[in-house]
Amino acid sequence: MSDVLRMTWTFLWLSLLCVGGGVGVIPEMQRQVVQNHQWVTAREFVDGYTLAQLTPGPNMLIAAFVGYRAHGVPGALLATIAMFLPTSVMTLVVADRWRRWRGHPWAGAVERALAPVGMGLMAAGVYTLARSALHDVLTIGLALATAFVLAARWAPPTLVVVIAGLVGWLLRP
Amino acid sequence: MIRPISLPQLTRVFTWTGILSIGGGRAAFFYEALVVRRRWLRTDEFLQDYTLAQLLPGPNVSNLAITLGHRLAGLPGATWALLAVIVPGLVVLLALATVYFGRGLTPTTVALMQGMAAAVVGLLLITSVRLMRPVLVNVRAIVIAVGTFAAVGPLHLNTALVLLVSAAVSVWLHRPGPRA
Repeated sequence: MSDVLRMTWTFLWLSLLCVGGGVGVIPEMQRQVVQNHQWVTAREFVDGYTLAQLTPGPNMLIAAFVGYRAHGVPGALLATIAMFLPTSVMTLVVADRWRRWRGHPWAGAVERALAPVGMGLMAAGVYTLARSALHDVLTIGLALATAFVLAARWAPPTLVVVIAGLVGWLLRP
Repeated sequence: MIRPISLPQLTRVFTWTGILSIGGGRAAFFYEALVVRRRWLRTDEFLQDYTLAQLLPGPNVSNLAITLGHRLAGLPGATWALLAVIVPGLVVLLALATVYFGRGLTPTTVALMQGMAAAVVGLLLITSVRLMRPVLVNVRAIVIAVGTFAAVGPLHLNTALVLLVSAAVSVWLHRPGPRA
């Protein structure tokens, strides 16, 4: 099996492991792309994830980063398609069926039941991100200031995030 | 439910929201754009789509684009929403990858990224607070939300497992019946 095919296949099955947010799949992805196949180094993998986090779009575009390093632009495109296409089709099929089951009493129950689960998950996401992003007075202050400005609706979120980045850069000792 | 949202309109909003949602926590940006600012759907509808996107395998931003896009404009809506969140990021990331493998990250970039990451936590915080009011309407909803949070957050349990268990328990607690 050629290396391009092996890489495409690897990202395809990794995409199936992304349940409840992409962060959960990171340890296994690192094992595959760094240790097993050596498509990128450990350092490149971490930086790639940071860049994917900074870039608009899903963090799982890290697949494109790895694919690019391993096999150039075709590698990046194949890795992206493997990461997103199969699971997208699956989600679409389920979402479509779901609309048809709507009238059923159990469907209404499931919908009401899923909202608090989503709420809890989102809060857990905030917790996880906060633990890695808030590590000193400056970052905690920026987070609180952002929450305050957004609660008052003084500016759109993206503008606030960019300004916070600039403030963080200016105040960094 | 039929909503008067045209495909170009949907594609434009998803593209912009996707591009503007930097630094992680992208669902919060979509909540802000679709529910708070445009009122295209209600908070509980958003949370249902969000949970479905998380329950199904796959990167959650693309899954969320599909469930929201499908709710707003059917199959074409889902397709365009998916492309709108992936293509711009792919182009930017490829450009960054080219620069990175040529030069590496500078300390300035790192400082900027840290400040933005902190601000995103603030955004997520305020979004969570806004979500709480319409969702945590009774004791069982609060118990499910707090339990899910504790298991996935501080306790670091396997997310897939927690989701399956808490979704099953929650569905059972919300089951249709004479008392409902």
